[in-house]
Order: sequence, then structure tokens, then C-alpha cells
Amino acid sequence: MTRVLARYGWSLGLLAILAILLVATRLIQPNFGASGLDSLARAALPFAFATVGMGIVVIAGGIDLSIASIMAVAGVVAALLMHQMGDANAGWVVLIVLTRVPDIVVTLAMLFVWEGVALLILNAPGGAAAPWLRELVVGAVTIPGLPPELTSWLPRALVVLIAFVVIFWLPLRRSKLGLSIYAIGSDQHAAFRSGVPIGLTRVAAYGFAGLFAALGGLSITLSTGIGEPIAGPYLMASVAAVVLGGVALTGGKGGLLGPIIAVFILRTLRLDLTLLSVDPNVTTIIEGTIMVAVVMAGGLLAMRGRR
Amino acid sequence: MNKLLLTASAVSILVGLSGAAAAQDYTIGVSNTVQGNGWREEMICAIKAQALKSGEVASLNIAHRNTDAAGQLEDIRNLIQAGVDAIVVNPANPEGINAAIKEATDAGIVVVAVDQAVTEPSAYVVSNNQEEYGYLGAKWLFEQIGGEGSVVYMRGAAGASADNDRDKGFKRALAEYPGVKVAQEVFTGWQQDQGKQQILDYLATGVAFDGVWTSGIDNVIVDAFVESGAPLVPIVGADNAGFVGQLGSVEGLVGAAVTNPGSIGAAGVTVALNILKGEKPAEQTVLVTPALWDNVSEEGKASIAAAQNPNLDPEWPVSVSIADYTTYSTDEIIACKGPGE
Repeated sequence: MTRVLARYGWSLGLLAILAILLVATRLIQPNFGASGLDSLARAALPFAFATVGMGIVVIAGGIDLSIASIMAVAGVVAALLMHQMGDANAGWVVLIVLTRVPDIVVTLAMLFVWEGVALLILNAPGGAAAPWLRELVVGAVTIPGLPPELTSWLPRALVVLIAFVVIFWLPLRRSKLGLSIYAIGSDQHAAFRSGVPIGLTRVAAYGFAGLFAALGGLSITLSTGIGEPIAGPYLMASVAAVVLGGVALTGGKGGLLGPIIAVFILRTLRLDLTLLSVDPNVTTIIEGTIMVAVVMAGGLLAMRGRR
Repeated sequence: MNKLLLTASAVSILVGLSGAAAAQDYTIGVSNTVQGNGWREEMICAIKAQALKSGEVASLNIAHRNTDAAGQLEDIRNLIQAGVDAIVVNPANPEGINAAIKEATDAGIVVVAVDQAVTEPSAYVVSNNQEEYGYLGAKWLFEQIGGEGSVVYMRGAAGASADNDRDKGFKRALAEYPGVKVAQEVFTGWQQDQGKQQILDYLATGVAFDGVWTSGIDNVIVDAFVESGAPLVPIVGADNAGFVGQLGSVEGLVGAAVTNPGSIGAAGVTVALNILKGEKPAEQTVLVTPALWDNVSEEGKASIAAAQNPNLDPEWPVSVSIADYTTYSTDEIIACKGPGE
């Protein structure tokens, strides 16, 4: 029990904050219900994918500044291909996007490269998304054989997110490669002397980040129905969620559950501030202040725990 | 008995209707995706001032941040959750936010897109005609340089729909003047510092050119010419207060301002309130046609002189009101106070 608490303490704390925020939302807006949860999950989807990608790189001791532009490239590629080839061929287009793993260690320069590539592919918002794919993330889950009331509160977008993270991250974390990612993040020299291939592991970490960024870009295209060549505000947002989620920026520490919960906290916070019609210029200040407060409180708790 | 019931219900419906018509407690949601730009700030202030002046808006719920279409979808859905009566939105993109607009209108919320159009048919559109904006200024510039020569083409943000529409207008004018060449095409991103750096870089190359077309990043371009001592060429800009001031004061500057009122946001509020009160506009789309004021013709000079207002922020458009749609005074929009502030 104490082991579970120690390991998941940060995530459990975040979960409590999220629960409090959701209750607060309900108090502010008594009509908040399934449709609200659904739109929350859909809004969180691109942020969550970006955060998962960033999280893996940060755990490996790096940082991926090009994540938002990769999302833009993936988004416009998907939108353009689906537009040109129509509905029927959308399936293999998705495959291309999903397997589009950049095999290079991404640097700041790549941010500009991808920015340009996105604009070259599509110089203005355009393209299309296959309707059946768009349906994939809209509304609640329906499981055959179960009464719809049971699942009406469970947004499909959330299920899609969990499914991808479970499929890729859980096996990875338990594998040799996953262990190597944590190892090079925590101490590169020690990892090297233990025989961990530093270069290959880093490439793999950035590859997974690219994969999740592509998924994030695809989810933007699915929610908007078009491809947007200008990158959205996902770079800073993903770093923020990773930090809030308990991953140390120095690498080697933390998991992906915390950052994902952090994404939902930040989205719910924005929803509440909109519901309260707080001055928009104050909104970002409040968001930032809460983030600093949570991270500092967590740091203090960790220090006390050590003593 | 039945008759009595019927009369009673009819009366209650009528009372309900008149109650709705006299309601002074509408909530209007606003969604905007560019922050820290003079034009957009004026738009927000115009929305606030008009909402206050109308006396029919209890509160404004403003979602105003730098984001993309996906973020705007989130903002609109949050406004739906907040239960607003109408949403005035400056769309990040003509198609990308259709899904959320449809959800809003299905929920009985009036949606008015301002500045740029959306393709969702259930929304009303009050927009500046951006293609005409590009065409008017470009045509004036090409005529000014005698239909012969090269121009620097300083666009807005790459990928933005307003920039694309203006580009269509610019290209249309370019096709009419085969003697005119584009010497350099750059994207200013509608950022003052970036635009100024770009023109300084180009001036430093020493390549001669005959004119500059800008997508509203204008006063810093004139500054760059003056500061670097380069000979002035005809410059086209928007009706930003700083540039309009320069058109009247800078020695030797030949230029023209194309109007692009940020007060279009207030027009959106007026249209939304009218629809809520049951007066639908005749057309689903209302286009505001831009005007061109040059400092060459007498007519243009008069417009420029009349538009001078030292109280305005240099990045704000001087056309702070739109006839028939806005009722506030210039002082009220500069005060930038909405209901309950």
C-alpha cells in the first residue's frame, strides 16, 4: 500500500485536484454533464498526445522543441491526403501518419524546418478529414450489450487517448528500451557504463515523441475537419503539463499518468475560468500561478518525505 | 373551461414574449484567437463599448487568447456550457470551427462571425471584404507608380484566411498591370517588429524598388524609410492611427490607407442583439466594403484630415465606428469598459 502511495502519490494528488475542479465546475454550472465532459475530453486530446510525446523525451533527459510543428505537419498531411483520396482510402492514410516516425534527433532547428514544411504542404488552412474518422472522437462510448446509460458519461476521445497510451507506453515502459530511456535520463554516464546504447535510445525516445505528436496533429485535424499549417500553442502547453505532472525536467523521473491528468486539470481550469467569465488577460496569470503553486507544494512534500 | 385555459395560456405566452423582448439581461460570449494586436484589441473594446451602450447585455463572457482553430473549438464549447445567449466569434479559420458553431446553434445560441466568414450555414456573418481590401490598395499602388516597376509585397500571417483572401485581391490587381513585378514577397506575421526588420533588411540590399504594399503593418515601414534616410516610395497600409497620422505629416510621403474597421466586433454585437429580439437581418452575410484614402486626391486628403485622432493608440484603426451598427462615442471605445466593469 505504501509502495503504491509512494509511487503514485503525485498522480493521486493531481487526481484529487481534478476531482475538486470538476465538482467546482458542477457548482458553477449545474447543467454541466456528459456533453461537458465530452467537449472537455475532445479539447484535451491534442494537448494530451503532445504531452505524452514530450513526456517520453523529457524522461529520457531531452526536450523536443519541434513538437507543435510536427503536429502541424502531421495534421496537414493527413488532411490533404484524405481530401485527395476521399473517404474510402482514409484507412491507410492513417497508417502512414501513425508510422511516420522521424529517425533524427530533433533540435530547435527542426522547429523551423517543420514550420516551413507544413506551409509548403498547405499554404492556407484546407484539406478535409474523413467523416467516419471524425466520428471516432465525438460523443460517448457505446458498448454492445450494455445499456447506454452506463457508458453515456464516458467520452470516446478519452477512450481513444487511453487506448493509444496503453498500447504504446505500457509495453514500452516494461521493456528493455523503456528501462534504457529512464536510465539515460537519470544518469547518462552511468547508463553508458552499464552498456546502454545512448544514441539509439535517444533516437527511439524522439521517435515515440514524433509518433505521439503525429497522433496529436491528426486529432486536431479530426476535431477541426481541416489541416492547419500554423502550429498551435502546444509546445509550451505540453512542457507545462509535463512539469505539473511530476516529471523532472532533468530527466529520469516520473511517468505519463501524471502529465495526462495535468492536461485535464489545465483544460478544466480554463473551462471554469470561462464559465466564471474571468477577464481573459487575467486567465493566463491564474493558470501560471496555480501551476507554480502545485509544483512548489509538491517539491516541499518531496523534501519532507526525504527527511 | 377549455377556452379559459386556452386564453390563459395564450396570455402567458404573450407575457412571456413581451418579457423576452424587453429583456435587458442577455449574456454574450466572445471568442477571439489573436491577443496583443492593436486591431483585435480595438475589436474587443468595440464589443465591450457596444454591449454597455445597448443596455441589453447583462454580461460579456470573453474568451480571448492566442490559439488555433482547435483551441477556438474548445472556447466555443466552453461558452456553450456557460449558457450564453449569443456568441460573437472572430474565426481562426473559415471551416475549422464549424462543428462547434453547429453545436451552439443547435442549442439555440445565436452565432455571429465577425471580420472573417465561416462556411457553417447556421451562423450569421458580419465581415470586412478582405479580397476587396487587397485589390483596392494594390490597384491604387500600381496606378501610382505608372503601371510599371517593382513593388515589395508585405503580407500578413502565412496560412491565415484573411491573408489568403487579400492575396487573391492583390493577384487580381497584379494581373491587370502586366508591367508590375513583385520584387520581394515576405510574411510580416502582422508583427510590427518583424515587418520593420524585413524592410530594413531589404533596404540594406540597395536594390531599387518603386512601391510597398503592406497588410496593415504600415507605420513602422514608414519609420524604417525615414530612419535609414532612404528615398520614400508610395506605401499602401491600413487605416491604423499611426499610419494615417504619417500620411498627413511625413514630408514627401505618398501613400494610401485602406479601411478595415476593428469596430466590426460591435456590429456583430448589434446584429446578435437584433436576432435575439426577433429582427433577423435580410441577408445571412453582411459584407462591409473597404474605402481607400490617399494623400494625393483632395477627397482622400479630406478623409485623412477628418480621421486624425491623437488619442488613439497608433496601432488602432481610426474607423472606430460603423454607421447603422455602432452607437457608442469615440471616448467610450477608448475607455474599453464593458457591462459590469
